[in-house]
Amino acid sequence: MNSSSTQYLNSKRMDVYDTMHPFSMWGDFKGNLYQDAAATMILEVDAKLDNQSEDTSHTTNIPFNQYDQEATKPVNKVLRRLAQNREAARKSRLRKKAYVQQLEASRLKLHHLEQELEQTRAQCALMSGGVNASHLRFPKPAKSGIAAFEIEYEQWVEEQDKKTNALKAALHSSLSDEEIDKLITDNMNHYAILFNIKAAAAKADVFYLISGVWKTSTERLFLWIGGFRPSDLLKVLVPQLQYNLLDQQSHDLYNLTQACQQAEDSLSQGMEKLQQTLSEAVACSQALGGGRYEMHNAMEKLEELVRLVIQADFVRHETLQQTLRYLTTRQSAQGLISLGEYFQRLRDLSSAWATRPCEPTA
Amino acid sequence: MQQAIPYKAWSLPLSNNHATGVTPKSTTELSVGALRDAVSENAVIVLARRGCCMSHVVKRLLNGHGVNPMMFEFEEIDESEILKELELIMTENDGKDKRRVQFPAVFIGGRMFGGLDQVMASHITGELIPLLKQAGALWL
Repeated sequence: MNSSSTQYLNSKRMDVYDTMHPFSMWGDFKGNLYQDAAATMILEVDAKLDNQSEDTSHTTNIPFNQYDQEATKPVNKVLRRLAQNREAARKSRLRKKAYVQQLEASRLKLHHLEQELEQTRAQCALMSGGVNASHLRFPKPAKSGIAAFEIEYEQWVEEQDKKTNALKAALHSSLSDEEIDKLITDNMNHYAILFNIKAAAAKADVFYLISGVWKTSTERLFLWIGGFRPSDLLKVLVPQLQYNLLDQQSHDLYNLTQACQQAEDSLSQGMEKLQQTLSEAVACSQALGGGRYEMHNAMEKLEELVRLVIQADFVRHETLQQTLRYLTTRQSAQGLISLGEYFQRLRDLSSAWATRPCEPTA
Repeated sequence: MQQAIPYKAWSLPLSNNHATGVTPKSTTELSVGALRDAVSENAVIVLARRGCCMSHVVKRLLNGHGVNPMMFEFEEIDESEILKELELIMTENDGKDKRRVQFPAVFIGGRMFGGLDQVMASHITGELIPLLKQAGALWL
């Protein structure tokens, strides 16, 4: 009896329950609930509809409103859920629209950039004659040196992380000292490569190197003459090892720390002197017998900057090499791992900081 | 400002580099002829272009050890002449030493030690101090 009356209601009150059909079709979104709720409602409305005329049911809202005050709690909940669902659907549609618009805009921008790139490449091909234009990102030769450095450095960092992990694994496994030594040599050779590419970059564009834009932001915090401080090297390494050091080693490392700091200070003072003489060359005070301002004097000073940066890298490299000379195989491995991890963490910190959720400004 | 000063007649003080409390004015302008004497008579001498900031680095590094090196600064025009003289001195002292002279050039105990790279490297490895002591530039 129940089912037949339900069917009767469904056929006669199709327009009334029209709004419920789309809801029930949203299978995964509480569809089942709605079907149950609808069924419940039908059963309950069933009793009351017998007293209603058909005319009052043409608009979808009215029968629901009429029953609102008299309806039981489940009906209220269902109504609210339906309304919320409508809202959610509307918002979803709006979001989708916005996303599609954004995609379209990006597509246009990409197209423009590609055009620009083609134009620049064509210009380069004209300017540099037979040079393969696709190798150049920028027209100036100096900038191509920097473009090369950026790519090489990125590869270096990736490779360095792999080597650090390999060394870590080796140390915790049962590899012989000889085999660990090979990995250490490999790691050190890799550092040598870093200083080589940095030297090339210094000659291509020293200001680029000294600005530190090629480093992550936290690394840049510690920037000193185009790289990390040599003394930082020891500050990271020594505490990790200090409980396993022989007296002689502690003594040697202490002396090395002093020497490193002195070398660093002398380079810092060299930099100050360079800034001072450059400033004097540019200001070119005639009162001090400076004569006419000649730009080439100032240019010569800038060439000294290249030497200074290369010298700073030399000190970094020497310090690292000398440190390992005082350590055993396993200590060296541990030291290199600590160093690798330190820079890895600094880099990760940079990313984390950049992507941290921001409070809305409103 | 550069004059051809006769070999014997200069009156500029060439101080020894023993670490004393007094710091004499160690930057002097000497003619090329005085170079030979300057090299042989000073425990540590640094030859560099005037205003070179790398020579400042070497000077500070040596100062850190308590050494006050004689600074021989020349104008760029004199560089080639000075280079010739230096190479002459080097062949006399140690004929086998065929290294190219790079400025700033450091002479310790009358013999050519090297450029900034060598000084830095030996400083970090700790080899510099005994060398300086040997040359009489360091007392402690």
